[in-house]
Amino acid sequence: MVLSRVCRTILGGVGVCLLLAVAVVGCSSGRKRADSGKPLVRVWHVWGGTMAEGFRKVCDAFRADHPDVDLRTVFAANDLATNQKFFTAVAAHRPPEVVFVDGPQVASWAEWGALEPLTDLCREAGIGEADYFLPCWRQNVYKGEVWALTFCADPNFGFVWNREAFRKAGLDPDRPPTTTDELDRYARALTVVKDGELVQIGLIPWAQYGEANSMFTWGWAFGGRFYDPETDRITADDPAVVRALEWMVSYAKQYDATKIAGLQQGFGAAEQNPFITGKVAMMCLHIGGVADLARYAPNLDYGIGYIPSPPDGEKHSSWVGGWCMAIPRGVRDRKAAWKFIRWLCATPEGTALVGEATGLFPGFKASPFFAKVRGRKRYGQFLRILEECRHQRPVMPVQARYMRELTRAVGAAVYGRATPAEALAHAREVTQRELNAIRRGE
Amino acid sequence: MNARRSPAARRRTILGLAFCAPAILGLVFFTLYPITASFYYSFTRYSVMKPPVWVGPANYSNLLQDNLFWKALWNTLYFAALAVPLGIVTALGLALLLNLKIRGQALYRTFFYVPSIVPLVAGSVLWVWLFNPQNGAINAILRPILAFLHLGEPPGWFADPLWAKPAIVLWSLWGVGGSVVIFLAALQDVPRELREAAEVDGAGVLHRLRHITLPFISPQILFVFIMGLIGAFQFFTPAYVMTRGTGGPVDSTLFYSLYLFNVAFADFKMGYACALAWVLFLLILGFTLLLFKSSARHVYHAG
Repeated sequence: MVLSRVCRTILGGVGVCLLLAVAVVGCSSGRKRADSGKPLVRVWHVWGGTMAEGFRKVCDAFRADHPDVDLRTVFAANDLATNQKFFTAVAAHRPPEVVFVDGPQVASWAEWGALEPLTDLCREAGIGEADYFLPCWRQNVYKGEVWALTFCADPNFGFVWNREAFRKAGLDPDRPPTTTDELDRYARALTVVKDGELVQIGLIPWAQYGEANSMFTWGWAFGGRFYDPETDRITADDPAVVRALEWMVSYAKQYDATKIAGLQQGFGAAEQNPFITGKVAMMCLHIGGVADLARYAPNLDYGIGYIPSPPDGEKHSSWVGGWCMAIPRGVRDRKAAWKFIRWLCATPEGTALVGEATGLFPGFKASPFFAKVRGRKRYGQFLRILEECRHQRPVMPVQARYMRELTRAVGAAVYGRATPAEALAHAREVTQRELNAIRRGE
Repeated sequence: MNARRSPAARRRTILGLAFCAPAILGLVFFTLYPITASFYYSFTRYSVMKPPVWVGPANYSNLLQDNLFWKALWNTLYFAALAVPLGIVTALGLALLLNLKIRGQALYRTFFYVPSIVPLVAGSVLWVWLFNPQNGAINAILRPILAFLHLGEPPGWFADPLWAKPAIVLWSLWGVGGSVVIFLAALQDVPRELREAAEVDGAGVLHRLRHITLPFISPQILFVFIMGLIGAFQFFTPAYVMTRGTGGPVDSTLFYSLYLFNVAFADFKMGYACALAWVLFLLILGFTLLLFKSSARHVYHAG
């Protein structure tokens, strides 16, 4: 009898545990309303480090302005490689109300069924193409629906040069290179080799925020195109893109790819940024880099201008990146989520605050923030770049794969494993195959 | 059978099962179910967000035409073929040395075990610095030696597609502490009288090692070999950390698990990733069986 009592106790214990587990799962998710009875808006954002503070300010301002919404923010990094948490939440029908999505990923996420279209909400609010910088808007429209609004429009990139290094190399710090020929000449003058080791390099063409982004940057500067939306064709080996990669590879040949990679491995973030430590004299700078440079190297003397291009290429070439905000699929109360997105991405006061607090540019053209920054030395240049910007990365559902294949192609060409034409043709072929599979409904 | 059992025996069975229930339930829900499900998904197209679609063996046949699959498989086999034997030799050598009765023995043992408890990510970051071709400690030591011998420049390690895999193999040796402990334990069981008898008969150190020590610890060598092989096939973290998931330079460190991870969590092709996982499982199973079969002749089981 003792035995059966023990037995019952144990079974009872297991049962209680199961019940508890069910209760915890049941209570912790799926609540639409907070205890306060206000609609709950949970935001999964990507702003860590120095940006976290700015984003918190923006959220606090929203709370003050909208006491009827219970806003809760959670840091949940996501990028091309780490977004498992978000997709698991969507698949489990427990998504946050608002999610940040990297611009080039919008089409993929829409295709995978992770987002709710915002088309009707935009229409009701009278928000449309004309309100945004064109590449920003294009990035968020896929298959005739609007899937996200631009939170920040990153004008990629500003071309920066170390004026001190220019002076040391006998170059005029007020005359940055404007053509790729000039760029090559300057790069040669700015490269310092000591005992067979590179200690300073003028430029590493494939190190502009990763190989894929470098390829986009120079490919467009050379007048190339990466995707034809009319025919739904990947055009990675467009002749101008091939020329761009050939030009990039010329640096690998001249300075030895392994040596450059060795130099690069000493690069770090923040105050170890190679532009700050003087290891790289010229580079493309993301807008967020302006604040970093001001913070970590306030005395660094550098100039900022447009990306150089060949004579037959695209003058003042640039493209937009940046984060967008979207509503995940399965969110029941879209209205409250939309309130937050709209305030941050499509109102004068919200976008101005985003600009002030984060140093990033809104995608919303009418933001009063732009009047403030136009006169500023460095941000003013970024604004001019944004206003002239023509490109966004291809809006199609295999963007992550495309970027990985471009990375692969640049690596293969830089290390001499394939010619630029072969490497890019391979990237085109593989990406197109993936794209076709999706179009066939696979 | 049941009918003839006494109520007491039945109660004991129930009680036994009740005690095992947490473990059994855990196994069923968190091991058996995922394994079965992944087998099913490997025959589907599945992006997690939408319901899976049955595609038959298409995922498996696509594997054969997938360049990256072959590349990743080659990288993994290369790594396993170098890292596993080298790891055993190093661990065994260290264990033999640490078995010597010398002053500070415990200290040395701790010293060599410590790296095994350093978190993988921290260790990986550390080794990226050590292997830095320009400023890293390894090349700082190699450079004057190579210059003295007129052998040219030290390797570029992770900066060079040719040297990235050897660098990772060397890195893997840093974690042999676990195997060292196993070998040390085994060495305590080698009968002393046998060694002493052999010594009296004039057998040298190498002879004793080969004919007495090694046979006695051969079951442990087999164990470390198999575990090492499984670990090598599933090698992931350092490659992911060192290359930020790209498997670069030029795919030279794209190991099987890293490729699988990218397919699953960057492209969200879960069906294909499950097929990759099952192929990996079969490979590991095959190699392990092969080892077991061939070990019968080489492994000595005392007692």
